[in-house]
Amino acid sequence: MNPQVLVDGLIAGAMYGLGAIGVTLTYSILRFANFAHSELLTFGAYAALALSSALGVLSAGLLAPIGPFSFGWSLPLAAIAAMALTGLLALAVDAVLFGRLRVRRSSIIVMVMASFGAALTLRSLLEFVFTSKPAYFTRELQIALPLGGGMRATPDQLLALAVAVLLVVAVHLLLTRTAIGRSMRAVSENQALAGVVGVDVRKVIRVVWLLGAALACVAGIMAGLLVQLRPYMGFDLLLPLFAAAILGGIGSVPGAMLAGLIVGLAEAGTVQLIGAEWRTAVAFVILVLVLLLRPQGLLGRPQA
Amino acid sequence: MSTVAPPPALATQALVAGYERDLPIVRGVDFQVAAGELVVILGPNGAGKSTLVKAIAGLVPIHSGHAFLAGADITRSPVQEKVRHGLAFVPQTENIFATLSIQENLQLAADILPRRVQAERIAEVCDLFPDLAARRSARAGNLSGGQRQMLAVARALIVKPSVLILDEPSAGLSPKIVGEVFARLKDINAAGITIVLVEQNVKAALAIAHRAVILVEGELRHEGPAATLAEDPIVAQLYLGAAPAGQEEGR
Repeated sequence: MNPQVLVDGLIAGAMYGLGAIGVTLTYSILRFANFAHSELLTFGAYAALALSSALGVLSAGLLAPIGPFSFGWSLPLAAIAAMALTGLLALAVDAVLFGRLRVRRSSIIVMVMASFGAALTLRSLLEFVFTSKPAYFTRELQIALPLGGGMRATPDQLLALAVAVLLVVAVHLLLTRTAIGRSMRAVSENQALAGVVGVDVRKVIRVVWLLGAALACVAGIMAGLLVQLRPYMGFDLLLPLFAAAILGGIGSVPGAMLAGLIVGLAEAGTVQLIGAEWRTAVAFVILVLVLLLRPQGLLGRPQA
Repeated sequence: MSTVAPPPALATQALVAGYERDLPIVRGVDFQVAAGELVVILGPNGAGKSTLVKAIAGLVPIHSGHAFLAGADITRSPVQEKVRHGLAFVPQTENIFATLSIQENLQLAADILPRRVQAERIAEVCDLFPDLAARRSARAGNLSGGQRQMLAVARALIVKPSVLILDEPSAGLSPKIVGEVFARLKDINAAGITIVLVEQNVKAALAIAHRAVILVEGELRHEGPAATLAEDPIVAQLYLGAAPAGQEEGR
């Protein structure tokens, strides 16, 4: 097998992992599978594109590539603003849709169906505004650098990997070392008891939306940078993201990242060994196998 | 009652509560607990004992009536605010965070306090429960039933509550452990914390309580000093054929 599979798999996997962290956090705390999460990815990517282009119009210097990378300072600046915007979008969707359903104590299936509706609406809106034509953050060409052992990666790809690792460590520390992280884990285990202990559950839910959306935005920007932006980019990632979240174990941040990498490597390996047309089936097979053999996932706790 | 008397530590006024609006389980309860008292709520299965304390704690909707904590109306305050007002509640089951460590369980409760007193409060509570203090980094899910109950009580004490409400702390525990838990509750009460206890274990509860109230079909039917109720035939009658201690009540 070509060792390049490792690099390709790890880079795709890092992106899946970042998206899956958002899925796993919202799933474990809001207690429903949010199928609109993938649209947060798409929205984040397009928001960054729009802001980055706007910054480029204001000052062309911001578009000049930074060092070995294919993009200028306009993108990282736009990324920060886009993370905030994606967070606000998630809060807005919660305010008009999921929050109302929570107050009515709607069943999980109603929440899931509502998330499908939200996904469809957001996707169509994005397609309407940005058209279905693929878009790119940059047209710069990049030369893949040799990494040794016959493997190559572009500076953008290596940066994406580094950012993913950094964010995973940061989110893990947030969950394990801070008061808000403790509250999040408490709400994820037992929402009623968390309230009794004095945790403001509504505040925790808002923080989870903001955090999950910001991570989705970063994953979306990565997908846009490494491949391209399309209104369906998030939708196409939906299955790998849920496969990674469930394989990692719902609620486990290190699990989501590890599983994201596994799904990415499995996809890359399949493309090499069997054929590219089987790529999308991989996540599905993994999902089914996990649900049958180890429903609590790799690092998750058994569900009561 | 004289007009200068302090308000009761905890009181309800015509309290009606239940999970569904058209199905009240607690049906108009007037109930008072004086500061420093240890009161036990007794009653047959399904009488609404758990629902009454959960409604006071903010976990079950109150349809009408009022709940007061030291004279302040807490009927509409959300559950997470009540603990800040000094009302601590220990649910019957799942009353600890099993996936968090003992230290994290205590720290979570301390998080609502000013930062400078948090460590001090945790240390004070650990002095009261040396068994827990010895294994602070252990996952709470690995504790035995009795230790879990101790952790739940310890966590409730972190905020120095004025009133501590416990829903069947003896449930699922062996008689020896029940004795230990109840002895601890008596000590906590002697230290000045008002305690309200829902119990099926009538004998053990009446042995430490000052006063008991009996709830039947969602209404307060009987109350009196614990010592006299222990001899009262009405108690024996109410519990004749009742489920043995430790069995869960309702939902």
